[in-house]
Amino acid sequence: MTAPSTAAAPGLRARLQGRSELGVAALLAVIAIVIAIDTANIRDTAINAGVMGPRVVPTIIAIGLGLCAIALAISVLRGGHAEAEDGEDIDLTQKAHWPTVFGLGGLILVFALSMDFLGFVIGSALLFCGSALLLGSRRFVWALVIGILLAVGTFYGFVLGLGINLPAGLLTGIL
Amino acid sequence: MDNLALLMEGFSNALTLQNLLFALIGVLLGTAVGVLPGIGPAMTVALLLPLTYALDVTGSLIMFAGIYYGGMYGGSTTSILLNTPGESSSVVTALEGNKMAKAGRGAQALATAAIGSFVAGTLATGALVFVAPFVVEIAIGLGAPSYFAMMVFAFIAVSTVLGSSRIRGLASLFIGLTIGLVGLDGTTGQPRLTFGQPLLSGGIDVVVIAVALFAVGEALWIAAHLRHGTPATIPVGVPWMRKDDWKRSWKPWLRGTVIGFPFGAIPAGGAEIPTFLSYVTEKKLSKHPEQFGHGAIEGVAGPEAANNASAAGTLVPLLTLGLPTTATAAVMILAFNQYGIHPGPLLFQTEPVLVWTLIASLFIGNTLLLALNLPLAPLWAKLLRIPRPYLYAGILFFATLGAYAAGMQTFNIGILLLLGALGYMARRFGFPVLPIIVGAILGPEMERQLRRALQISAGDPAALLSEPVAVVVYTVIVLFLVGPPLVKALRRRFGRGGPTDGSRSGGGSTDDTDGYGAEADETVQFDAFGTQTSDGSARVIRVVRPKVGRRGK
Repeated sequence: MTAPSTAAAPGLRARLQGRSELGVAALLAVIAIVIAIDTANIRDTAINAGVMGPRVVPTIIAIGLGLCAIALAISVLRGGHAEAEDGEDIDLTQKAHWPTVFGLGGLILVFALSMDFLGFVIGSALLFCGSALLLGSRRFVWALVIGILLAVGTFYGFVLGLGINLPAGLLTGIL
Repeated sequence: MDNLALLMEGFSNALTLQNLLFALIGVLLGTAVGVLPGIGPAMTVALLLPLTYALDVTGSLIMFAGIYYGGMYGGSTTSILLNTPGESSSVVTALEGNKMAKAGRGAQALATAAIGSFVAGTLATGALVFVAPFVVEIAIGLGAPSYFAMMVFAFIAVSTVLGSSRIRGLASLFIGLTIGLVGLDGTTGQPRLTFGQPLLSGGIDVVVIAVALFAVGEALWIAAHLRHGTPATIPVGVPWMRKDDWKRSWKPWLRGTVIGFPFGAIPAGGAEIPTFLSYVTEKKLSKHPEQFGHGAIEGVAGPEAANNASAAGTLVPLLTLGLPTTATAAVMILAFNQYGIHPGPLLFQTEPVLVWTLIASLFIGNTLLLALNLPLAPLWAKLLRIPRPYLYAGILFFATLGAYAAGMQTFNIGILLLLGALGYMARRFGFPVLPIIVGAILGPEMERQLRRALQISAGDPAALLSEPVAVVVYTVIVLFLVGPPLVKALRRRFGRGGPTDGSRSGGGSTDDTDGYGAEADETVQFDAFGTQTSDGSARVIRVVRPKVGRRGK
């Protein structure tokens, strides 16, 4: 497993990339197994008699996913590799910046958990501000101001325009 | 000429002040998001789905249709001025369009794209007026077996014909079907994949699925690889064309329309194939083939027309059969469903006013787009300079809002995050997103049709072949699946080319202009063997953006 030093970096990366795709194949297999177990636990009721029961389609999907998992694993082992999606703002020459991704995911999670307490306006203003900062904005005040304007605007837009009440949380009575 | 009378009635409805306003908002929003990097019409419509809780059905559908058409216009502006097409259907426009812009002919490239889109969009919508009722007439007599067959066809088409890998496409489809499975079974009421969670028993809200896959997945993926600094855009004035440009453009517009519409109209649609076909055709027919690759106006005019014509064609299976073949069409079906309306052959009978008003609004939207885009092009180009952190933070803001508003459950935001991670993985590992969303939307419907077909025959699977249309569709599916590998094997045997992927793309990535000619030849091969698109498009993309090639190999 020792590649010549000149080709070491790309070779290693290629091998790692191949390995992560095997993980995807494994994930597909796991989903297939979960569906299979879930399907096995569906009770047969009297209504099912005669017609196609609720098990047929999940069984087909489980088999299909399983076959895809095997085919993908074989394809990856034979040297096939995925082409990551490109786009205007995407620079695929740099590696994935995980702190940003997990930071954004964490922010959304915190937003969801604090929704009932903080309310929509505070929560989403902080979500916007935090996301903008994580994504590289260096103007804290601007991010916060835009976030607050966006949040308050949307709140009233929903309540007055669409008739949908978003939770006011801490600001109940003020908004 | 019953259709024309109905269409006229549609115009009188669409020309009310309120509906005109919705059309205007739609095309403005559509163009803006088409121009903006990272946002497409599918994501926009998905993010705007919460509006369907309050707006009336005609207004919101007119707006969504405007976004759909507007997105196409905006997309061409980006690919001409930036050379990094956001959508696969504008890849070809970037080939010649960006070269034209670099040579100082950006105004002409934008003009031929905008006018060509208008011509193609109008003609193709006209074709829709005549084709749709005809399809409805046939479709209305079809039974469950035929519907089931057509859905299978749509599944196979979106997952194996488009995209670069069949295995990944099919895996995406099955993941989508799995998502559609969650909830109580429609007929027997048995819970499936709910894991005892009562909030899952109604299934995962489709708004959450769409927003997660298109908005959160995309935003996270871009966040991981965000390019620092804004890419340089080519400044451009108001679009205009000389007499000579008109002369060279009008035929490609018409040919592009003819190529694009049928590809959109068959449920195997997508705008990728027709734009490539149109490009190759124009190159062959052009009096200046040597200009191709250096900014030939025909290479912008033809593919842009094909792109828009196929977008209009996509509405045929969408409205008459309920089969979406593009991401935006899939999200539009969700919008219909939000109002309890299910597109299909009965739609023209049950909702004639809605359908014909919608179609009339497409003509209006197209005209508005032309009127807006010619004078406003320099302004749209400025949108490309929007600071990216705010843009993507805004997407996440509206995504969480949409997911929460669908049912007022914070639980939905959790699902949003989970499916967003799935969307991220899909982009990272080259799994197409379209089959996921199509599988999730059409899966339950497919099961219903399958049940109905088997119910009549008391469980005998032979019933699935009991209708001629079904037999024809299955035959086409088999040809689709078996044909391309067979052709590949035969060609390898007789030594005419073959998979020379590695060396070819290596050459292409080092020398943009020269490698380009060879790649274009590759697309000729793909069009001779229809279903080879995946490889063909992948190769062309690699040439347009050499970075991918460098990284991959």
